[in-house]
Amino acid sequence: MTAARARGWLLRAWVALVYAFLMLPVVVIALASLSRTSYLTVPPRGLTLHWFTQVLGDPEYIQAIGWSVLLALVATTGAVGAGVAASFALIRRRVPGGAFVSAVLNAPLVFPAVVVGVALLQFFATVRLNGTFVGLALAHMVITAPYVVRAVTASLQGIDPELEHAARVLGASGPVAFFTVTLPLIRPGVAAGALFAFIVSFDNVPVSIFLLGAGQMTLPVKIFTAIEYGVDPSIAAISTMLIVLTGVGLAVAERWIGFHRFV
Amino acid sequence: MRHGSGWWLLVPALLLLLVVFVVPVAMMVPMSFRPYVPLVGITDGFTARYYTRLLTDSYYLEIIGRTLALGFTVTLATLVIGYPVAFFLARTPSRWRSWLTILVVFPLMLNLVVRTFGWIALLAQNGLVNQALRALGLVDSPVKLLFNFAGLLIAMTHIFLPFMVLVLIGAIQNIPRDVEDAARVLGASWASTFCRVTLPLSAPGILSGSILVFVLTISALVTPRLLGGPTYQVMATLIYDEFLQRLNWPAGSAQALLLTLMVLALVYLSGRLARRTGARA
Amino acid sequence: MSGAAPALSVRRLRKAFGAVVAVDGVSLDAAPGEFLSLLGPSGCGKSTLLRMVAGLVEPDGGQVVLAGEDITRVAVHRRNLGLVFQSYALFPHMTVQENVAFGLRRRGVGEPELRPRVERMLELVRLGPLGARYPRELSGGQQQRVALARALVTEPRVLLLDEPLSNLDALLRDEMRVELKRLQERLGTTMIFVTHDQAEALILSDRVVVMEHGRVEQIGRPEEVYRRPATAFVARFLGRANFLAGTVAESAAGRTVVALEGGALSIVAGPRSGLVAGQPVHAVIRQESIRFEPAGDGAGAAGANRFAATVVFHAFAGQAHHYVVQLASGRELEVSAPGATVPLARGARALVAWRPEDVTLLPGGGPEPGGPR
Repeated sequence: MTAARARGWLLRAWVALVYAFLMLPVVVIALASLSRTSYLTVPPRGLTLHWFTQVLGDPEYIQAIGWSVLLALVATTGAVGAGVAASFALIRRRVPGGAFVSAVLNAPLVFPAVVVGVALLQFFATVRLNGTFVGLALAHMVITAPYVVRAVTASLQGIDPELEHAARVLGASGPVAFFTVTLPLIRPGVAAGALFAFIVSFDNVPVSIFLLGAGQMTLPVKIFTAIEYGVDPSIAAISTMLIVLTGVGLAVAERWIGFHRFV
Repeated sequence: MRHGSGWWLLVPALLLLLVVFVVPVAMMVPMSFRPYVPLVGITDGFTARYYTRLLTDSYYLEIIGRTLALGFTVTLATLVIGYPVAFFLARTPSRWRSWLTILVVFPLMLNLVVRTFGWIALLAQNGLVNQALRALGLVDSPVKLLFNFAGLLIAMTHIFLPFMVLVLIGAIQNIPRDVEDAARVLGASWASTFCRVTLPLSAPGILSGSILVFVLTISALVTPRLLGGPTYQVMATLIYDEFLQRLNWPAGSAQALLLTLMVLALVYLSGRLARRTGARA
Repeated sequence: MSGAAPALSVRRLRKAFGAVVAVDGVSLDAAPGEFLSLLGPSGCGKSTLLRMVAGLVEPDGGQVVLAGEDITRVAVHRRNLGLVFQSYALFPHMTVQENVAFGLRRRGVGEPELRPRVERMLELVRLGPLGARYPRELSGGQQQRVALARALVTEPRVLLLDEPLSNLDALLRDEMRVELKRLQERLGTTMIFVTHDQAEALILSDRVVVMEHGRVEQIGRPEEVYRRPATAFVARFLGRANFLAGTVAESAAGRTVVALEGGALSIVAGPRSGLVAGQPVHAVIRQESIRFEPAGDGAGAAGANRFAATVVFHAFAGQAHHYVVQLASGRELEVSAPGATVPLARGARALVAWRPEDVTLLPGGGPEPGGPR
């Protein structure tokens, strides 16, 4: 075959290998969760769903899941509200020091999460927010808002600014023009941003672990501490459930809003 | 345009970030200079010893060195492994392209703890990797892949690979196809075109992807903690222990600020470099 | 067009972006029911001027007065003007009907009144059956008409149009010009139309405002701006012309004689006030004003406004023949003749002549701008 065809096949083989590499831990976890043994082993010895039922019946896990979902919902709502407004202001309005504001809004993305966690640990201690849900929610809003801003910005930049002008000339005031024209058109960006925000909040460890108070627990932190004490298939079971949920969520997002445009 | 400047729209986000992010980080600076007395707590006073020992004590230097070494090797690995994948995804006309991109994003969306846990299962003494190596007759006794550099390197390459790929896809897509065609018509072989045209034109993407992965690697907490254990430390896990185990907030703050400084320096440098190569940061 | 108060007035309107002055103290009036064009090259400030009238750009100075009312400080959405954008700016997430109804809804018009008004407007722009379609399903010409309908259905006092036809191909543009004129005559709406296409401005307008560098060069009826350009810029922008430099030899009651540079040639223009002997001028003669006369014509042979020439270039352009002829002095002139006439070949000799009233004299000498030498 020609050099070009050979290159094509070589590239495809490499890509396939890399994808296999990427999926490897996922597959391993799913297999491990089925093992009859009380220790982690792959390939699984014997097949059972016992670990799944155990995890789903464990009140601590249920509570952790509940906290995580609640926290993620609150954080996402706050992040979307603040993020959409900020993105709109930066793209469609003249703002003094826009570049600086943009940098600050993007900063949590590159900042070491562990530093954010410990900084807030100390700060909340001073303002008496340590161990509170409010503090935790605010912290999560900080780390998720940049994702919303990025996704909404990407959406906004693809929309003709004249549309808003047309609405205004036709008699719509600023807010009315935003809600009747701009917002419906940036819906995919807002949805993608909200999805990112939810996942980032739900999965977060480095910030949550420093801020959780007595009686509070989020799912990833619970799994994290559980692993530190020793691994068993129940962890694999809850992990598998998370994997399936994420996979389904992502597929739905791709179908509905063409999520791949926002990554 | 005429409508008001709209600065008030920025207030919620800006307020949030200033109060819950910038101020707390800034507050760590004075904290890092206060002496900590075991069993007593944080006392008033001024000391720079938490900084000096970071830069002189071999224990800390080793950790810092290890963190940076991880950063370099992981970045290099993700670059080498990820570039062909990004090239494929950027250029393939396949109608599966959007789903393949989602497939690359999928591990990113997965819980980090879960992903790391998968690697524990893979890299353990009797994990899949060792089983495979034994079955293939490549080794006689299990290779130690947990709690050491090798295991961390492999796992973190896996974790950060999608980031590199996504950044590179964007960069490669920006290379105009006809420039490559022009080179071929002018007589350059495929390899020559790649080395002299494609690769240099994707340099901005390589730079930003590398900075991103490097920064994420040196900041990582979860993976090094789970795969390195409490004794094989990197900077983030050191900070974790300093705060939650030893309760030495001043020392932890100093370490955190050092890590922050390293990250900010890198981001700034990459911005300068990007401007010089004419790229958009 | 006189007597009645202007539908729209702009007084000393000014706008600068940083160091660039986009609109430099422009004043003009639009009479009720008038079709007024703002004509000029890109960057002359015409779009900025329009947007200041609409309220989308805040002026640095001056006033916008609508039917006697100062609206300079009134918010965009309260001005009750119509604006058709160059890109149409149709709302992609709404159907044609919803697009057209948008302005009415903002004014609180109830459904029972709204629907028939939208339908009637769609009929008027001949889009009746397409109400339920989305903009992306329509052709360029159809989108244009939706934009028109949307702006007109609210019965604005003035309709502003920002180069609405530039994105259409030539044939469609011609059609739309006719439609626009028809609509305007039917509805009687005052229209202010921005364009860089001089043919368009001439065809559509009651008056043309020629702009350059943020200033008004000339305002007048199409024939005036075309035949009697006030400046060299207007002369050149409205179409190609021959520019001949010379000095005034004689300025008398019925005529002005100009001695051309470089030769003992003189031409006669109509009476022109304000010119004195010895003053340098440019004589502007449009290609189509020069006609060929057979060489053997006895009366007057070569003389004022009539010269012997040789054809050095010929091109056929459908509606016209384009020639370049060379006079005995070596000077070249561009001439165009109707396409139906018999063409002259290269090298043919003929007499070229024009009437005095077809010569426009522009004060100021110096090198002949553009045009052949």
